[in-house]
Amino acid sequence: MVSLIQLDNLTRRYGRRRAVERVSLSVPEGTLFGFLGPNGAGKTTTIRVMLGFLQPTSGQARIFGLDCWRESKAIKQDIGYLPGDLRLPPWMNGLNALWIFGAVRDKDLTGAGGELAEKFDLDLRVKVRDMSRGMRQKLGLILALAHSPRLLVLDEPTSALDPLMQQVLHDLLRQLAAAGHTVFFSSHSLSEVEQLCDHVAIVRDGEIVANESLDLLRNRAGHDVTIRWRNDASSAPIEPPDFLKLTRREGMIWQGTLDGPVPRLVEFLAGKPVEDLSVGRPDLESLFRRYYEHDREDRR
Amino acid sequence: MNRGLLIRAFRESWPAMLLLGLVLMGVEAALAFVLPKFGSQMSEQWLQLDFARGIMQAMLGTEIGDHIGPQMFQAVAWVHPVALALTWAHALVSCTRVPAGEVDRGTADVLLGLPVSRWEVFFSETVVWLVCGTALLAAGLAGNLLGIQALPPDHRPQLSRLFIVLANLFCLYAAVGGLAWLVSSLSDRRGRAMTIVFLVLLSLFLLNYLAQFWHPLEKIVFLSPLHYHRPVNVLGNGAWPWRDMGVLLASGGVMWLAGGAVFARRDLCTV
Repeated sequence: MVSLIQLDNLTRRYGRRRAVERVSLSVPEGTLFGFLGPNGAGKTTTIRVMLGFLQPTSGQARIFGLDCWRESKAIKQDIGYLPGDLRLPPWMNGLNALWIFGAVRDKDLTGAGGELAEKFDLDLRVKVRDMSRGMRQKLGLILALAHSPRLLVLDEPTSALDPLMQQVLHDLLRQLAAAGHTVFFSSHSLSEVEQLCDHVAIVRDGEIVANESLDLLRNRAGHDVTIRWRNDASSAPIEPPDFLKLTRREGMIWQGTLDGPVPRLVEFLAGKPVEDLSVGRPDLESLFRRYYEHDREDRR
Repeated sequence: MNRGLLIRAFRESWPAMLLLGLVLMGVEAALAFVLPKFGSQMSEQWLQLDFARGIMQAMLGTEIGDHIGPQMFQAVAWVHPVALALTWAHALVSCTRVPAGEVDRGTADVLLGLPVSRWEVFFSETVVWLVCGTALLAAGLAGNLLGIQALPPDHRPQLSRLFIVLANLFCLYAAVGGLAWLVSSLSDRRGRAMTIVFLVLLSLFLLNYLAQFWHPLEKIVFLSPLHYHRPVNVLGNGAWPWRDMGVLLASGGVMWLAGGAVFARRDLCTV
């Protein structure tokens, strides 16, 4: 599959402070790619380098095979971009925004923009100065989507949308991905990325700590295990095996992560006074927490 | 040149142009009407007083010499601090819009997220600024022409000479704009950029003014752009001040070019 976005050892510092460090990413065409991390992790800096707003300190960022700093204009012909903190001139309304953006792109965006406005339930005659944050976000999405770009770069696009509109956006993005468009979706909302994306990169402290498909990520992360013993006394003498890392051991309850196949655990528990056993794949939220907990432990 | 960028820049620029243009028109009309009347009430003997002569020379930025007459008072209309403040205010407002204004307002992300190069943005903004600046000075000329209708015909300046004064003023406006572009390109805060340019202009204005009273300053008065805008000479002899205009255009052009180069290479961060 063709890589639309290719970041190689991308580093960006602000003076002595590092924002992103040796980030390497490859985003295949036609994917819904989640870029996940808490505030300040380096998501927006990475996007700003991709859009040609910031020059990399070292490393390289390429989109469509072109250099993001030197060939920024050519790249942006086929990109729809929604900034994280969207600001538009206050005198603008949706209609003249579409007209002006269309004039810049040398395309008539009024038809497509009107259709999107219907989907997002936005009155295009309202001026930006009179819009709520959610309305401005909808207008930003319309302006990013109206020219049907090959690549959509959305920096926390649902932050100001109500759940109904989030669903509309999710549906739209799925349709676009199915039609071969690529979506680079930055978020700190774990459940949202889990619902929407098929591939995810987790950024922590400016570094990529995971970058793979959600299924692979879950497989690699092992299983969440909860064991309930018959009583306190029955579990007390039992020591957990190496492949079971306990995060909680309180009375009758053991909770932890299984590193290895499930039958191995079943074999270990056979004949022991177990009342209940629950084994499941972790959700993205717990995976995410795990990455950050490891980080805190490393620092200690 | 990108049509969309021009439309956007013009839509953002015309309110300031209209407002300042109308005020400049009114100010020029009033000055053109009032100053010659004021002059007729002053005796030439009064202007022989060192103090009075000094003030007049400081305002006009040159030796009065044998220019005492109606054209001297007409010339004051084109160097009057209110008229200069209005034209400079327009240059300041227009030339700090990009990038300092766009970064400060947070709209730079959306603007530069479009398929445009930074030089294209810079050129489009410059074209709109120069068009608006021409319209602003034309409004000043219109006001001046209105004001002088009340004067006796032999006291009115020749239109061709007024055009030369206006061309010289436009060069001064361009030099101020060039400085504002450069400072704006180096800044992320429009207010800060405007304050810096304002303080520099105020210092240069005072330099030109004080050099008439304190002679050691004459050695550095060439640094002031007002040193190259002397309408009293033009209205007196009708000669084009090519050298003055060249100095103003060259310095403005160099600063504008430096501003563009800085803008094209710098990092832009609105967060």
